[in-house]
Amino acid sequence: MFRIRFHGRGGQGMKTASRILGTAFFLEGYEVQDAPRYGAERRGAPIFAYIRADRKPINERGIIAGPDLVVVADDSLVPLPAAGVLQGIREPTVILLKSCESGATWRQRLNIKNPIVTLPETGEAEDSAELRYIGAACAGAAAGVLGIISRESLAQAIQEELGRLGEAVLAKNRANALASFDAIKKSAAVNVTEGGSIPAQPYKRPAWIDLPFEDARISAPVIHAGLTSVEVRTGLWRTMAPVIDYSLCRGCWWVCSTFCPDGVISVRDNQPVIDYDHCKGCLVCVAQCPSHAIAAVPEKEEQARKKAVAGEAS
Amino acid sequence: MAGKTIRRLQELPSTHLLGTGTPMCAGCGGLEILHEIYDILGPKTVFTNAAGCMSLLSVYPYTPFRGSWLYTAMASAPAAAQGIRDALDILLEKKRIPPGDDLQVITLTGDGSAYGMGLSATSAAMDRNLDFIYLCYDNEGYGNTGQQYSSATPHAALTATSRTSHGYPGYKKDLFSIWAAHRPAYVATVIGAEPLDLAQKVEALQELQGPRLLIGLAPCPTGWGFDPSLTVKIGRLAVETGIWPLKEYRDDRTVHTRIVRHRKPVEEYLQLQDRFRHLFEPERNNREIALIQARIDQYWSKAIDADT
Repeated sequence: MFRIRFHGRGGQGMKTASRILGTAFFLEGYEVQDAPRYGAERRGAPIFAYIRADRKPINERGIIAGPDLVVVADDSLVPLPAAGVLQGIREPTVILLKSCESGATWRQRLNIKNPIVTLPETGEAEDSAELRYIGAACAGAAAGVLGIISRESLAQAIQEELGRLGEAVLAKNRANALASFDAIKKSAAVNVTEGGSIPAQPYKRPAWIDLPFEDARISAPVIHAGLTSVEVRTGLWRTMAPVIDYSLCRGCWWVCSTFCPDGVISVRDNQPVIDYDHCKGCLVCVAQCPSHAIAAVPEKEEQARKKAVAGEAS
Repeated sequence: MAGKTIRRLQELPSTHLLGTGTPMCAGCGGLEILHEIYDILGPKTVFTNAAGCMSLLSVYPYTPFRGSWLYTAMASAPAAAQGIRDALDILLEKKRIPPGDDLQVITLTGDGSAYGMGLSATSAAMDRNLDFIYLCYDNEGYGNTGQQYSSATPHAALTATSRTSHGYPGYKKDLFSIWAAHRPAYVATVIGAEPLDLAQKVEALQELQGPRLLIGLAPCPTGWGFDPSLTVKIGRLAVETGIWPLKEYRDDRTVHTRIVRHRKPVEEYLQLQDRFRHLFEPERNNREIALIQARIDQYWSKAIDADT
């Protein structure tokens, strides 16, 4: 059985990617399960979707614990514990990463021996309108790495999954997916090996946890302090960062500060200050600033710049 | 905060009371409304929240509020507000809390609850003249579960449950009129993209007692299909095209707080959103666009007559 997990951020089309690949498997005659991880998925937040595909009926259910292939649409998710990208990987698990750095760099960085295939970034991240096409590109690349899905099945799967979006969107997605499929076929010499079935017999029941009937004041999840949400660093969702050029800022402050949906822009000495720990990178401030004093900078560049500044200071 | 009046944009609050780090989507138009309102209502508030996107605001152990928050089922948030109001009144009467510790009770729900499942409980709360504030963040569908249609979904919008090329066949329910027909103390429509209008309405309702209800149109990047940076632009276009009239009801009278003299064509609003893309591609559906425009024009010709 193939067990495949797609990781991305809400809005990058990982649910779509898993559907496309699932349909492609189906067209190749496989039994398929595919499901996005439902819950509090949000645009920008880490999400995942997963697929099981087998020639035999699939009796396994639930989230995939030991994947054979992990596809990551956004390499900034790899170091995030909350994203769980590397969870349950085994020796032969193949990792397919959308990244401008090489597989060797990532192997060294993560100190793992797994085959890592990278799909170069093609500038989508710079243009958020292109974000929606990442999903199809990832599905194409995954189909390429798997080696058992034909180009025709992939194209057919995209037609079935995205046909309703109109010819222009369909054509763009198909072109992206097939280009990644071909690129991976040409360059990658890795094989995804099917994982064996997991027998139910040795499965141990979890130790019984006794939940006594408690007073509602103890057993209800009561939060005893206000404003605890600031402990959640939603700044990790960001792919683009708003950066204020104070030489252009006219200090009107109410515009960016009021319109910021998350209220992360406060005013100090009549100047707006962005709280990057929590800014989700929606860029409403960039679009609204009347003097165009806020620019959208790719998060990676901004982090590199901050690191350089910190290095100079120390 | 009462007694302070905001007349100009420059007088809007520059510090924000709502906590950051919430799990709402980047560019959420509903969160924008909530943070603008919370800045004015202040921390002496308690929220009852029906199931919806914003029930994720407070996921244990995190909360963005400075005060209490109670999660309820979809149909019962106004009933929860009644319980809290009664409890506060008893505490005040028995002098177990000083008058200065009284709280404003606010019901927070999405359109799924406000326009549909929770409408009966809201109606009953108004019948009982409950002293509370109701904020509906209206993103025109069941956004938390993937944008299925609700009775707030506008005509022709594509939703997860209206996927044909015609979109949603029904029409957006006129909740403002339904609420106003109960003759509560106050009803108004607001939008995050018009923060001054919003602030003035929130200040006005704080001077009143009884049921005070707000419907805020919440542009939804995820459910409507647009780039999150366009939330304010789309919100402003909703007002400028006249599809989202800003108005208030009090003392038996409805007044439009913003009358746009030269309304922009509604297609400027529609074509920025994926849910209406089928009206423009592969070919333009002139008939449907003209129908949507005609309904807006008809609304305003009646509204302006009634106001004057």
